[in-house]
Amino acid sequence: MVVHLLRSSVLALALLLTAPLPASAEPRPLVWGDTLPATLDPHAIFDVPSQFILLNVYDGLMRYQSNPPQLVPWLATSHTVTPDGLTWEFTLRSGAKFQDGSEITADDVVYSFRRLLTLRRAPSAAFTPVLTPEAVTATGPHSVRFVLSKPYAPFLSAMPLVAIVNQRVIAPHVVGDDWGNAWLATHSAGSGAYRINPDNYQARVSMDMERNPDHFMGWANNAHPIESVRSRPVMETSTRVLALLRGDIDATDSYLPPDQFERVQNNPRTRVARDESMRTFLIRMNNARAPFNNHDARLCLAHAFNYEGFNNVILRGFVVRNGGPNPNNLWGNPPDLVPYTFDLTKAKEYCDKARAAGVDLSRPIEIHVQNELEQSVQAAQLFQSDLRRLGITLRIVPNTWPGITGATSSAETTPDMWIHWVSTYFVDPENWIGQMYDSQFHGTWKASSWYTNPEVDRLLRAARASLEQPERSRLYSEATRLVVADSPDIWIYNTVNLRGLSRRVQGYSFSPVGSGGEMRLMSLEE
Amino acid sequence: MLLYILRRIALALPALFGLIVLTFVLSRVVPGDPAGTLAGDAATPAQIADIRARYGLDRPLLEQALVHVHQVVSGDLGNSLFSGRPVSEEIMQRLPATLELTFVALVFATAIGVSLGLVAALDHNGPIDHVVRIVSVGGLAIASFWLAIMLQLQFSMQWDILPLRGRLDVALGMPHRVTGFLLVDTLLAGRLDMFGDALRHMVLPAITLALPGLATITRFTRSGVLEALQKDYVLYARAAGYGRFRLAAIYVLRNAVTVTVTQIGLLFGALISGAVAIEAVFDWPGLGTYAVQAILSADYKALLAVTLVVGVVYAIVNVLVDVAQALIDPRIAQQPR
Repeated sequence: MVVHLLRSSVLALALLLTAPLPASAEPRPLVWGDTLPATLDPHAIFDVPSQFILLNVYDGLMRYQSNPPQLVPWLATSHTVTPDGLTWEFTLRSGAKFQDGSEITADDVVYSFRRLLTLRRAPSAAFTPVLTPEAVTATGPHSVRFVLSKPYAPFLSAMPLVAIVNQRVIAPHVVGDDWGNAWLATHSAGSGAYRINPDNYQARVSMDMERNPDHFMGWANNAHPIESVRSRPVMETSTRVLALLRGDIDATDSYLPPDQFERVQNNPRTRVARDESMRTFLIRMNNARAPFNNHDARLCLAHAFNYEGFNNVILRGFVVRNGGPNPNNLWGNPPDLVPYTFDLTKAKEYCDKARAAGVDLSRPIEIHVQNELEQSVQAAQLFQSDLRRLGITLRIVPNTWPGITGATSSAETTPDMWIHWVSTYFVDPENWIGQMYDSQFHGTWKASSWYTNPEVDRLLRAARASLEQPERSRLYSEATRLVVADSPDIWIYNTVNLRGLSRRVQGYSFSPVGSGGEMRLMSLEE
Repeated sequence: MLLYILRRIALALPALFGLIVLTFVLSRVVPGDPAGTLAGDAATPAQIADIRARYGLDRPLLEQALVHVHQVVSGDLGNSLFSGRPVSEEIMQRLPATLELTFVALVFATAIGVSLGLVAALDHNGPIDHVVRIVSVGGLAIASFWLAIMLQLQFSMQWDILPLRGRLDVALGMPHRVTGFLLVDTLLAGRLDMFGDALRHMVLPAITLALPGLATITRFTRSGVLEALQKDYVLYARAAGYGRFRLAAIYVLRNAVTVTVTQIGLLFGALISGAVAIEAVFDWPGLGTYAVQAILSADYKALLAVTLVVGVVYAIVNVLVDVAQALIDPRIAQQPR
């Protein structure tokens, strides 16, 4: 009896384990394997994954499209700015609706900006120095006025950071002074091309979206839009690649390891989308501390990194050499900028000059790497081996992003050196050189080289205040020339984004803002 | 027996209190400032300082520790710094996935480990014993991370017979959440297809997680049975004509397994912590991946809560192990403590 029961149980188990899934009449939804943000509240977080929510679930007054990114009117149809650069007025598109069917009005824009500026979380940082909640007002049902406290040219380019939210949906869920933050962390209140199903949402694990057929941009340009999107982030790189090859997911993140390029490209059901982005990779130096406070010592280090070996051998040429703080493909760069080259003879000459001036290069230098990001470790190891030939000891310290950025609040705690990328949040030199080398930003991770040059400060502040694009371009070019000559950091490459895609995904269009995650443009070919 | 159980619970409480204090101190002395991450890219030092003040991160460490202990003792694990949601809610979403995987792995490890240990002991120094010893040493030596990838490559990619990752096929959707344990919820929903799929998704991660535990249980059972076989009552039972299988499976095993049960309790804790790497490889949305994400974003509220929850689960399992031992061997509950 017992044996019979056991045999039946084993048989049933074997049947369950080996039974194929019933074929479904519905087409398999698109499965997006990129990272999800920690919260769905678009006013609470400001990182690369959150742009996926911003692009698909919400709309802003302006939006970046294509590559190189063009700033196009979105919920706004036009804008004006007074000659002093202080008063900006936006006219809204009429007839645009939220996902609950209510119309988007100037009041919603005012509410959204006030919510952003009062919560004072990450996306607000681009506005709070020049904008108060009271300075955003509705001047009509479809016009909004912003009065800045001082001229700020990047204001327009930062506009796509702000999602316009539906205050009527949020209002019942406000607790105390949280502006509905806890509720919006797991729900949505947008007008975007896709709506989230909150029942299946699990933070950073799964998010299901269905198409919003009433999106104000319409679907005329996409004959076969994707009806259902299943966002299923895959944590481990090797699993992510295998999942794509196997057909479990339709897209990896946009940082496919270069050594996986051929494997994915040669698979009959997958391909790699390869697009130059605006995401620079660099090694920071703490200019407030010896030996980095010496120009010759910095020049020595700038000539001791093997750019060619790292970019073309380790990363197999899937990056573009970038010799300055701004991405090559952005305006505001001097056309004749010459990047530093790997030249150990020249490096030794500079080191000798520094030593002759009394600089101590014998102490071990610490370089902090983001241990979970392999490229930062590889760059440090390569640098370590070449510096050894110059008699400089480089000690690699594994760390995490919050660990390092937390330490950059003061020059004393900022590491000797550290490695990171600067992604595109808004397309303006302010996002790179402006916030990295103007000394007013000391204490933030972006300005963590503690570089000070009064002339650079003057140029960057003038560029920030000017509304004339040719003038701004000239000022940024001049500042870039000075910064590169001072060599406060070691600029290595501009990223080429590699995203593994299943071949059934059509219409994928990359933009450095959002890394090509705009579902509205894509379709599925079965 | 009731007194014995209460005594075991009382002993667990100071350990948990110590855990709360220790994890808080550890989480705050390591470098990392969530305020900088919360403030975002373009934040000025003043904005970062403002956020630090709003979240109480600028208060003296002792004051923060007291507030934390008070909150936890009142049953409030706080809110995640990044999602703004109660950490307890986020953990309750993740915990069932880890417990389910750990439980299945433990059942698998125990069933196979005890059987192998018994068979090896009965064939002491015979060919079966040698094979089992090699397998159990191998099980302890193989790195879980490596094994996980090898199993994926063979069973999912090469043979295509088991899923690569996740808990359920995306095309099936999700059953209505009742317990969070997919094997239970799919059955409650009457979806045998989903139940089978959930079971298939569990095979590779459960085997990976179970293997080191299985090896440990095998070795402890083997040595326990070998020791018990030397006892006089076994000699007497043999003389009385008890069959080899009956004697070994009922009398010898019961006396030999007390040490194994202790090991199973310890293993449960090891399996939960081992789940961190395995959850990452198999994309298992459990507490391990939640902890990794909390570490990488310096969400110390989430991290403290995860540590505490694992500690509580571990304490509960150990109390259950003590009770199980007392049931197997009633002399344990009688001993004065």
